Amino acid sequence: MRGMSKIVRTITNILYSFIIIFGFYIIMHGHLTPGGGFQGGAVVASAFALLVVSYGALKIKDMLKAKNFSVSECSGLLAFIGLGFLGIGTVFFYNFLAGKGGLFGNVIYGINPGDLNTAGVLPLMNIAVGIEVLSGLTLIILYMFNANNPKEEK
Amino acid sequence: MNKKIGFFAFAVVFVFFFLSAVYLHPFGEPSETDMDDYFIDNGQNETGANNVVTSIVFDYRGYDTLGEATVLFTAVAGVAVAFRRLKK
Amino acid sequence: MIEDIAQIVVLLIIISTGYLAIKMKDLLGAVISLSIMSLLLSLEFYILQAPDVAIAEAGIGAGLTTAIFVLAIRGTKRMEGS
Repeated sequence: MRGMSKIVRTITNILYSFIIIFGFYIIMHGHLTPGGGFQGGAVVASAFALLVVSYGALKIKDMLKAKNFSVSECSGLLAFIGLGFLGIGTVFFYNFLAGKGGLFGNVIYGINPGDLNTAGVLPLMNIAVGIEVLSGLTLIILYMFNANNPKEEK
Repeated sequence: MNKKIGFFAFAVVFVFFFLSAVYLHPFGEPSETDMDDYFIDNGQNETGANNVVTSIVFDYRGYDTLGEATVLFTAVAGVAVAFRRLKK
Repeated sequence: MIEDIAQIVVLLIIISTGYLAIKMKDLLGAVISLSIMSLLLSLEFYILQAPDVAIAEAGIGAGLTTAIFVLAIRGTKRMEGS
């Protein structure tokens, strides 16, 4: 499968890094601003889908490999379940890091913009779910893309 | 005949949706607010997250997010099976 | 007042683009119309003060679904009924 026209490729070259940065911003600030792991992962995956659609099979093959995304998807889901199991001293999915102070930050109550290192285990869960969602949605695109052109794969 | 049945079905569905739109609850005024008030009052104290939606999705309703992640994993596995490459 | 007018305009465009997505014979045009509908739906969610749902709708509905449909159309035929 060939890529799309030169106009689309130029716009993609300019835009895709900004879309990826914006998606990771949504994932990292999930406990302070609207958004979270699922939304940010979807935004990053849409940047990868833009790359896959605008470029052809041959240029994308070295950059986005299905095996790497498969490994990161499984590790993201395992990290999420493991973070849930870490709080099993009280209940499953207990937020055992909230309000501990020190490295995990002291929460300022009331209306405030907030710090990045508050909320205990929630940012770690956001990152785990974000990695899982971005790898999973990119994997769907890559599998459909590879099934369309069986000859260029070799 | 077919057209009459189609028109009848359209009329029934239209009346149903129109009546439900007329009798809709007023927007932004829920009748039961106990749980909402509890989350809004205590969410920041108990989880430390400034975003109440994230504290509900990942802390109070963590099982829901676990199921959502599992559904996505299953969907990817299904796509991988459906688009697999057969050996020649 | 200005919110109501914006909401009515956005909803009317959503209905018309949804109708176009059903009626078009060119499937690629139908997919682009569906993507515009998703984008305006995310704007509608933002007007209704649900930015979480708006981000998810803009990422999945307008971005990923369009890419999947474009890949599927490349694998099959572009015109409907041919």
